[in-house]
Amino acid sequence: MPQLNMVQAINLALREAMARDDRVVILGEDVGKDGGVFRVTDGLYEQFGAERVIDTPLAESAIVGAAIGMAAYGLRPVAEIQFLGFIYAAFDQLLTHAVRLRTRSRGRFSCPLVIRTPYGAGIKAPELHEESSEALFCHQPGLTVVVPPGPYHAKGLLTAALRHPDPVLFLEPTRLYRMIREEVPEEEYTVPLGRARIVRPGNAVTVVAWGSMLQRTLDAVTGYDAEVIDPMTLSPFDSATLLASLAKTGRLVIVHEAPLTGGFGAEIAAIAAAEAMLMLRGPILRVAAPDLPVPLAKLVDHYLPQPEQIRAALDEVLRY
Amino acid sequence: MPFDFKLPDLGEGITEAELRRWLVKEGDRVREHQPVAEVETDKAVVEVPAPRAGTVQQLARREGEMVRVGTTLLLIAEEGETPAARPKSVGIVGELPEAAEPPATPAREILAPPLVRKLARERQIDLTGIKGSGPRGSITPEDLENVPAALPAPAGGGFGPEERLPLRGVRRAIARNVIASQRLTAFVTGTEEADITELWELREREQVTVEEHGTHLTFLPFFIKAAQHALREHPNLNASLDDAGEAIVIKRYYNFGIAVETPDGLMVPVVRDVDRKSILELAAEIQELGRKARERTIARDELRGSSFTLTNYGHFGGVFATPIINWPDVAILGFGRIAAKPWVHRGAIAIRKILPLSLTFDHRITDGADAALFLAKVVRYLEDPALLFIESV
Repeated sequence: MPQLNMVQAINLALREAMARDDRVVILGEDVGKDGGVFRVTDGLYEQFGAERVIDTPLAESAIVGAAIGMAAYGLRPVAEIQFLGFIYAAFDQLLTHAVRLRTRSRGRFSCPLVIRTPYGAGIKAPELHEESSEALFCHQPGLTVVVPPGPYHAKGLLTAALRHPDPVLFLEPTRLYRMIREEVPEEEYTVPLGRARIVRPGNAVTVVAWGSMLQRTLDAVTGYDAEVIDPMTLSPFDSATLLASLAKTGRLVIVHEAPLTGGFGAEIAAIAAAEAMLMLRGPILRVAAPDLPVPLAKLVDHYLPQPEQIRAALDEVLRY
Repeated sequence: MPFDFKLPDLGEGITEAELRRWLVKEGDRVREHQPVAEVETDKAVVEVPAPRAGTVQQLARREGEMVRVGTTLLLIAEEGETPAARPKSVGIVGELPEAAEPPATPAREILAPPLVRKLARERQIDLTGIKGSGPRGSITPEDLENVPAALPAPAGGGFGPEERLPLRGVRRAIARNVIASQRLTAFVTGTEEADITELWELREREQVTVEEHGTHLTFLPFFIKAAQHALREHPNLNASLDDAGEAIVIKRYYNFGIAVETPDGLMVPVVRDVDRKSILELAAEIQELGRKARERTIARDELRGSSFTLTNYGHFGGVFATPIINWPDVAILGFGRIAAKPWVHRGAIAIRKILPLSLTFDHRITDGADAALFLAKVVRYLEDPALLFIESV
């Protein structure tokens, strides 16, 4: 089995899907001849041609808008947005059309569309290239939001997303693109959407983390009897896995790199408060970035939650 | 803005009081210093005066509620102020419904996370009074481990005419204290009888002299002296156990709690330094404290700081009893009814005055042998009161 990084794993998933199903098409800025900004679509243009790997103008609204039309009429478009910070131009297409098509047409149309985009900070790129605004999208009913944690799961989750009948936003943690290598099977497999995984079992405290914060959290909890959960799909959120863990630990810490206020951690905290109230023995704590735009390269390490902050939160809840 | 009248500090370390009765209604005009409410603390019923004149706009609490010092009692609109005159919202869509101001919510007294509350409910543990070891004194699940679960609630009620009376004031304080004592001590009661014929005669004889001082001479001052003298040789009984149960604190003072029956229930005023007071002084002081307790004018400080306790239940007819320790004391000595009985006196049967005694002690600190020796010593002093004279310092 080959050892692949996440870029290669996603590339493999796309290649296999396109080979199996000629309804699958790719569109985006520089995804064709250039192979994409991070080379995720490398070689696909050569293999499948300009009709299935489409270089688009620099217009995110047009990319998503065109993909919605393709999806509604039977294709399986995979749209790439170069960075999550650029998707805001297509926010209207996504929120007022893609996610509502099924409801608006009383089920006559659906929108089996996958939007892939790098997301998250820590790569020292300029402004808007390091956004972590997943909460904006999780708030929208009808949109599935996925954050793969590494190569193996990225391939399985993307294959599942390509078969999903409704729009999926596939947020690829940029910092992890080439950081992790894993054995990735060449044959077809899926990792189900909407299901969390327990990355590390424990009994004293439940820690939920995703994206590039997951590895940092795993490093920080060394020496603690902590259970680490990676949701993988943020929306719909797998609350059953969380609640089963809370029944065991009674304590919850959530780690994300998005700003604290209104972050997806607040949603998880609310689920725990509502459905696990009588299991809780201490406060629910969130470790998150400050309520600031992502700073420039020199300050980004101060902006992202640090291992000491994660440990401080664990120490605090473990006092109860 | 109406004046927000908060329950003032009633002094004597009291942090909360029960609102027994409102003396005013909403809309009433009140004068400054006019009593507006009657509240009851562990020891007394007091009237709370209005701090300023005005119109009572809102009574923020209900009768029977416990009110913490510093929380709102009532709102007083001052002269010229129109109560509750708020502008209504009016717009092109009409008038919007407007909610009333929410009543002030009383502060929570128990710090316990939901899990602890659930466990407490399941095990029927009352969280009030549990000292938490968690942050800010919150109660942790582990703190509950040491608390014995309450018995299931009696399935009684509804089998005939009944009356429900709220547990209040002194009665509630007693309920709380006796349960705390029984939970926190390992109590054993030992009994003994004393032939106090000589003491009886002594008291009869000296009564006249004492009455000239305006004091009534009872047996209690003698009991106090006898117990205090016996305690000198058994200091373990004039003691307490520190909070963590890791040290015995021997008291080098003799402050005796004296159980007094009042119309509202049992109170235990404390006579200080009984080793430095004469029988006559003790008689006068007991009389005064008893009067204050019955009239509910006793100060909170006069109900605290005992090192040992006496209860003279024989006054009401009992023989032997199991007195409950006035925790954190470690012993209590009870005196039963004095009765004329056939008794072996100097080798022959005689009719003597016999006093039954009951000593309850905390077995964690004292063993049966020590307690029995202490009781025997008390009996000796009571049977031969001249010893008090010979041994006193």
